[in-house]
Amino acid sequence: MQITFWGVRGSYPVPGAATVRYGGQTSCVEARSTRGDCVIVDAGTGMRALGNKLVREARGPQNYDVLLSHVHWDHIQGLPFFSPAYVPGTRIAVHALLTAADELQQVIGGITRHEFFPMPLEAVPAQFDFHQVEPGVAFDLGAFHITPIALNHPFGSVGYRLDADGTSWAYVSDTAPFDKVLHKQHFLSGPEPLTDADRAALAAMREELVARLAGVDTVVYDTHFVPEEYERFPHYGHSTPDQALEICVEAKVRRLVLYHHAPSHSDEQMDQIAAKYRAAGLDAGVEVVTSCEGMTLAIGRNGQGPTVEVERTNPGIGPP
Amino acid sequence: MKIRFWGVRGSFAMPGREFLRYGGNTTSVELVTNAGERLLIDLGTGATELAKQLMGGAFGKGQGSLPILLSHTHLDHIQGLPFFTPFFIKGNSIRILGANPTQLSLEATLQNQLAPHYSPLNGLENLAAGVTIETFDPGAAIAFPGFTVRTVAVPHGSMWTTAFRITADGKTVAYLSDVEYPDVDNPLAEALALARGADLLIHDAMHADDDYELRRGWGHSPARAGVVVAERAGAKKLALFHHSPDATDDMIDQVVKATSERTKIPVFAAAEGSYLDV
Repeated sequence: MQITFWGVRGSYPVPGAATVRYGGQTSCVEARSTRGDCVIVDAGTGMRALGNKLVREARGPQNYDVLLSHVHWDHIQGLPFFSPAYVPGTRIAVHALLTAADELQQVIGGITRHEFFPMPLEAVPAQFDFHQVEPGVAFDLGAFHITPIALNHPFGSVGYRLDADGTSWAYVSDTAPFDKVLHKQHFLSGPEPLTDADRAALAAMREELVARLAGVDTVVYDTHFVPEEYERFPHYGHSTPDQALEICVEAKVRRLVLYHHAPSHSDEQMDQIAAKYRAAGLDAGVEVVTSCEGMTLAIGRNGQGPTVEVERTNPGIGPP
Repeated sequence: MKIRFWGVRGSFAMPGREFLRYGGNTTSVELVTNAGERLLIDLGTGATELAKQLMGGAFGKGQGSLPILLSHTHLDHIQGLPFFTPFFIKGNSIRILGANPTQLSLEATLQNQLAPHYSPLNGLENLAAGVTIETFDPGAAIAFPGFTVRTVAVPHGSMWTTAFRITADGKTVAYLSDVEYPDVDNPLAEALALARGADLLIHDAMHADDDYELRRGWGHSPARAGVVVAERAGAKKLALFHHSPDATDDMIDQVVKATSERTKIPVFAAAEGSYLDV
């Protein structure tokens, strides 16, 4: 199994000289099993380039499965620009967390309302199917065994553990840590006082996450903030690398991948973050890798020592 | 009057080395009068860069005021809205003006953009600044401090957009983005009237002339359409705008070269960068 990062940025795409190495497109990861089965996790702006590649490689229409963590714009706005959707005969199954599949269709379809996009989802040639996921209720897609995991983010979010080929990786984005703020379905202008029930809910969510991540090879985690940014915006629904590392150490994860970089983080800042947490990971016994657009990681330990099978799909991109 | 392009890209923001010279941010254009009054057109991702600059001044202290005109509400023209930081500072006064895009009002459309599924902002009412959403019927004339603006509806695929003629300090800018004329070589009279004698015409040039045939009907112009408008309207300078996300810097250079050879009017491709005198 391998994963390729098509978008690693959070919130909104960031063009410009400051993001050429780590990349400016938003959340999208492609997972491939050894026999070639494909699952796409999140449909941020990175999905456009992925779609173009898939159409180049495919002979005729294909079926695609897309797992959504949640439906904030930075995780869905690549979908109308996913070129396989314009190939007749294509089937695209969207799996996401909402109260019902028809609501999911409305919400995802809503991003292509006439006011936002020239062609509504109903009119594109591909057939879209919508599937509701539930935290803890596993399902299979081809070679992949997939377990959704509840996360702490405004209006709800899910992570996914994907098992295939005798190994596993997990996508844990977007999520806040599990101490200061419990995200619900209303606007937060700042942290609200926690009730005992809130604290219990946070503790249960954290415990469940650690249990689901137990022994996973590679965890891709929302590390939007550096600690001083988190202190200013604890109610924004994102974590720091320190918080991610703490979870990964507890779950005895082999490798942590920093992901969902803040749009304000320049390549130079990302270099500093990458170096700092690579070292912190060495001390804690977890290999820490900072994701960049175009990076492919082999999942699973091949031999001894840290993994170095980092392939750059786009040689113009990536840390030095 | 000065102009600064903060976003010149159409449809989709394009990070990456191949897009550095012209820029990968989606549409946002700032106009500033000699007296310092400011008007913004469209809220693509380019607006997030302007926001950083504004926050260093009055907007960071909650003392800024700004009118913003929206040509339409396709996502590439509004996707910077939730990240335009002056909205988050109490005391700022920001007017958003546009036509109602469909039967759905402008306000309802922007509320949809910020609906709780899509955005943690959870609605316009949670923006800390004073924000008003104002609508006009295309054809209306609007006055702002330092600026007068004329509006007209132009066809854009299955919908239409608002084009603007903006006059300040005795200079005129015509903004005709996201437009496709029924006959690309015979632009509509309304567009010509809007651009009449403009010092600068900013025109949709999403497509190179040779790839336009594949994209006909999607609502965008080939580069040559702007030339026809500029020549027939007597515009003094033409800025090619709303570049395709597939157009690398080198490809845009080629389009500028080919377009310049068609006309005596000075042609350039709009690029993210510094303030230009109109």
